[in-house]
Amino acid sequence: MIKSAARWLVNFFRPPPESGLDLTRRSLITSGLAGVGGGLLFGIHPLAGGKSFNPDLVRPPGAVPEEEFLGRCIRCGECMKVCPTNAVQPTLLEAGLSGMWSPVLKMRMGYCEYECTLCTQVCPTKAISELAVEEKQKVKIGLAYIDRNRCLPYALARTCIVCEEHCPTPKKAIWFEETDVLNIRGEKVRVKQPHVDPDLCIGCGICENKCPVADRAAILVTSVGETRNPKNQTLLPL
Amino acid sequence: MISHGRPSGRPAVRQMAGRRTSWVVWFRRAIQSAFLLLFLYLFLQTVYHPINKAGWRVTLFFDLDPLVAITVWLAAHALVSSLLLSLITVAVTVFFGRWFCGWVCPFGTVHHLFSSFRGGKVKARLEAGGYTRWQRWKYYVLALFLGSALVGSNLAGWLDPFSFFYRSLATAVFPAVNLAAQKSFGWVYLIDPGVGKIRATAITEPAYDVLRHYFLAAQQPHYFWSLMIGLLFGAALALNFFRARFWCRYICPLGALLGVAGKNPVLRLVADPATCNDCRLCLADCQGGANPQAGEAWKPAECLYCWNCRSSCPSGSIAFRFEVPGVNKP
Repeated sequence: MIKSAARWLVNFFRPPPESGLDLTRRSLITSGLAGVGGGLLFGIHPLAGGKSFNPDLVRPPGAVPEEEFLGRCIRCGECMKVCPTNAVQPTLLEAGLSGMWSPVLKMRMGYCEYECTLCTQVCPTKAISELAVEEKQKVKIGLAYIDRNRCLPYALARTCIVCEEHCPTPKKAIWFEETDVLNIRGEKVRVKQPHVDPDLCIGCGICENKCPVADRAAILVTSVGETRNPKNQTLLPL
Repeated sequence: MISHGRPSGRPAVRQMAGRRTSWVVWFRRAIQSAFLLLFLYLFLQTVYHPINKAGWRVTLFFDLDPLVAITVWLAAHALVSSLLLSLITVAVTVFFGRWFCGWVCPFGTVHHLFSSFRGGKVKARLEAGGYTRWQRWKYYVLALFLGSALVGSNLAGWLDPFSFFYRSLATAVFPAVNLAAQKSFGWVYLIDPGVGKIRATAITEPAYDVLRHYFLAAQQPHYFWSLMIGLLFGAALALNFFRARFWCRYICPLGALLGVAGKNPVLRLVADPATCNDCRLCLADCQGGANPQAGEAWKPAECLYCWNCRSSCPSGSIAFRFEVPGVNKP
């Protein structure tokens, strides 16, 4: 009994050639080293190691820092399936080739619903760590900024308050400055021009999603200010 | 006799063998279907419910996947507690071989199904069914992923079977099915065929409501790159027309990992050369390319324990037995 168990163990570590694992050490080492080399090439991509940040790479709330994220994410698509607004999308090259098909939020497709934590619940590897609703509502996934060349009260002297109306934070992250501006006929009109409060904005993207400028919104969310990457910040004190 | 899911197989061949598909094969098919349905059920549970609570254990299959656990551990130096369930998979595989591939893996079941759709004569299948050295490539794929995970790039999700299957379902198949339902029911609704007051929509509209309530998405989902992901999924399925379970034989890194773990199982195939009539029908029905026929060395690391060989053997020469290799026999 003990002898046969020992025999079994020996066979396990030195499998007989007929086991179906007729692998040569050379080919195994070659493919393993190819993987190491490929991994290193991915590791020197400018986005790796927190040297630079892609503004379009807005990760779901609860996502761990980028380097660890790429170590954990297995691109299964559960977060994409579960997102109720369809905002979570597969990347192609936004996170570099090694991040292909990892999740990214596309705010024109959807937005991060304030009361929802589903993607944090379903991630099998905790690349998106699980958050309670109250925690998630404090996590910044990015920061909105206004494109004054496209925003209606700035560019066309038209009244529009859509982004402020949708902003979900308890104290709105968008505030108005009432200003007299000239319209296209040269007449003075009073409009409310929106501003983003970077301390309050959590980057949920509902402003970008609902902005009436249909193709490229006049208010956009980029990844700067995201909680998960302490270096991807507006570096000067505000 | 042609037991791998061709119940309407050619009668002449059936007569020749004069044996019916073994109950083990039917049992295996039932288990496979159950796990595939469980996978799809969990997939449909992964929605806004309509409360902020995902369904029960939607990550179950990923939790059972040792490839996910090991690459996450290597690349992020993190052990995810739920992923420790995969140790069960490994532990059972060490003793009983790649049963997981043959009986549990839902992606393997889909490949199994598509393998059985391919036509071809028995002769062609047995000529193409044996072990080839190309089957080593999956171990190279595994070594590649482990190597890159070692330096922090976890790429396993590209070819991990559950990730590949789930991603394809989520971003390509499910949205396409939604669109198909919407278009076809919408077409019936607009045309509204019928006689007098009996209209087709009286049936199709309630049916569509049921589908939408239980199976379809609340709103049509859209994803970037779904064409690319969908084409890769289609290609993976189409490869089954070249070889049975092409993915599992040549590509799957999880299959390779389980092959390494299960290379020396105690549940072993024994083919009796004394009664074997050398018809090699076992080889024609073998799903993994494991050389079940007598006179060849059976490959435990390739065997999916699907029981097809045993079921199709007309002389009953093949059996699975518990034995410690190298003890009972020289």
